[in-house]
Amino acid sequence: MSLLDHKPARFAVGLVAPALLLAWWQWQASRGGSNAVAFASLSTVGGAARELIVNGTLLADAAATLQRAFTGLGIGATLGIALGIAMAMWPLLDRLLGPLLNALRQVPMIGWLPLIGLWFGSDEGSELIVICLSAFFPAMLNAHAGVAQVERRYLEVGQIYGFSASQRFRRILLPAAMPMLLTGLTQSLAFAWIAAIAAELLMGASVGLGVTMQQAQTQQRLDIILVTIAVTAAIGFAINQLVYRIRSSLLAWQAPAQ
Amino acid sequence: MSFEPVPQRPPHLSQTGPQTGIAGAESARSARGALTISSLDKSFTISGTARKVLDGINLTVRPGEFVSIVGASGCGKSTLLRLIVGLDDEYTGEIRLDGERVATTSLDRGIVFQDHRLFPWMTLEQNVELALLNTDVPKSRRAQIVADHIALVNLTGFEKAYPHQLSGGMAQRAAIARALVTEPKLLLLDEPLGALDALTRVHVQNELQRIWMQQRSTMVMVTHDVEEALYLGDRVIVMTPHPGRIRRIVDVDLPHPRDRRSPVLHRLKDEILAELTAAPTDTTDDARGNLVLLPTREDR
Repeated sequence: MSLLDHKPARFAVGLVAPALLLAWWQWQASRGGSNAVAFASLSTVGGAARELIVNGTLLADAAATLQRAFTGLGIGATLGIALGIAMAMWPLLDRLLGPLLNALRQVPMIGWLPLIGLWFGSDEGSELIVICLSAFFPAMLNAHAGVAQVERRYLEVGQIYGFSASQRFRRILLPAAMPMLLTGLTQSLAFAWIAAIAAELLMGASVGLGVTMQQAQTQQRLDIILVTIAVTAAIGFAINQLVYRIRSSLLAWQAPAQ
Repeated sequence: MSFEPVPQRPPHLSQTGPQTGIAGAESARSARGALTISSLDKSFTISGTARKVLDGINLTVRPGEFVSIVGASGCGKSTLLRLIVGLDDEYTGEIRLDGERVATTSLDRGIVFQDHRLFPWMTLEQNVELALLNTDVPKSRRAQIVADHIALVNLTGFEKAYPHQLSGGMAQRAAIARALVTEPKLLLLDEPLGALDALTRVHVQNELQRIWMQQRSTMVMVTHDVEEALYLGDRVIVMTPHPGRIRRIVDVDLPHPRDRRSPVLHRLKDEILAELTAAPTDTTDDARGNLVLLPTREDR
């Protein structure tokens, strides 16, 4: 029995570090002098947040970035899961594509930007390609590992009860690989979110959290930069919590970790 | 991933066949489940050299009989079951069930493994029902049949439990229910109680005896527990390793249900243990020439 077994206490403990950070920040901002430039006071940041909410920028930005991230995730992760499963099931395909994909995935997402920019320009399509690529690899690798690691003893049970190929896939391979599939999807989601912000910052779109960040930098609006950072972090955190919940409910059959 | 077993359906599962429940199936089954194994040889290739694991196995199991197979590790007893159930078809010789040659897996032949092999992502109920997936049992009757078999192994009330929520003994009983739900002519048990603690094992042995008496399907159980083999088996096949051969077949001429304290069982146990721990009579095997054979420690 520890403090963390009580839900409210658990919640409160999680808030300690952010609260300390804010207090330290406010203290730095109130010291005046050169600090006032580097640290905007919390009230200034609050004012900027109100301004961005009232004129609708923040909502439009968040919606645009979310849409970008999820479109990229949808395409990238779907392709990744499908290819990962297919490669785990057909060794020939694995051998054909495995080495190439393993080499390509060593290139960081940022590394693709110049090439994609050169080929497709820096409009919406290019950003989507970057996000798709980011979401693709973790989904593919985990789906591959998940299906490849399905235990033979379970497949034998299917053999004994005369399972067809589709029964074996749907009732053994897919559920047995589900924990890894969801791990891959969680990673893809995080990568897609990061890639969406990065693509907006570096390739420039019309709206989006990254766009506003970029503009705020040129206008030296520290308060707006801070607001967008906070919103980016908060949305990312919320998505992660949501995925965690979905994961737990889909994997209710697993024994709780000791 | 191209292997595609074609299940052969037991006739009693077809819609036109008699829709017998758990009880009352004796008459329909009594004539079926005759297993004949003749001059069966099986080798494994380990790092380039062929190793014989089964050598000249001849065995006939009568319909409705309970046969136990005992032997030390390496005598090929589990391999023999894998061949009979159809998970491995690389052998020479013949295995026939009711005259029909065994080629692949079939719903006629069920198996319970030492590890229960319930799918962890399904509830107990779903696991048992899964066995009926490719049978002709109408969907409307499946729930009842599953419930009957869960009751048969005394797990009523745990239908919605996931395998990780069941104890070892319960999971093994659930695996027995899954194997029985298709009403196989022949049920193979591969050290089904090997992973259970001593008390649970005695309990599940009693259950198994009761189920067999109720079902009267042919059962072949592999074990390394001589007492268990004698308590359940109409006959006990004693096997010796390297290569796996049948050394002796012991008739246990006692009616079921049996009394564990029966002096006959104890006398036979001593005999079989002596047999298993004795030096091999056959020394033609060249690998054995300079080996010191220690008595096995597997018989508890």
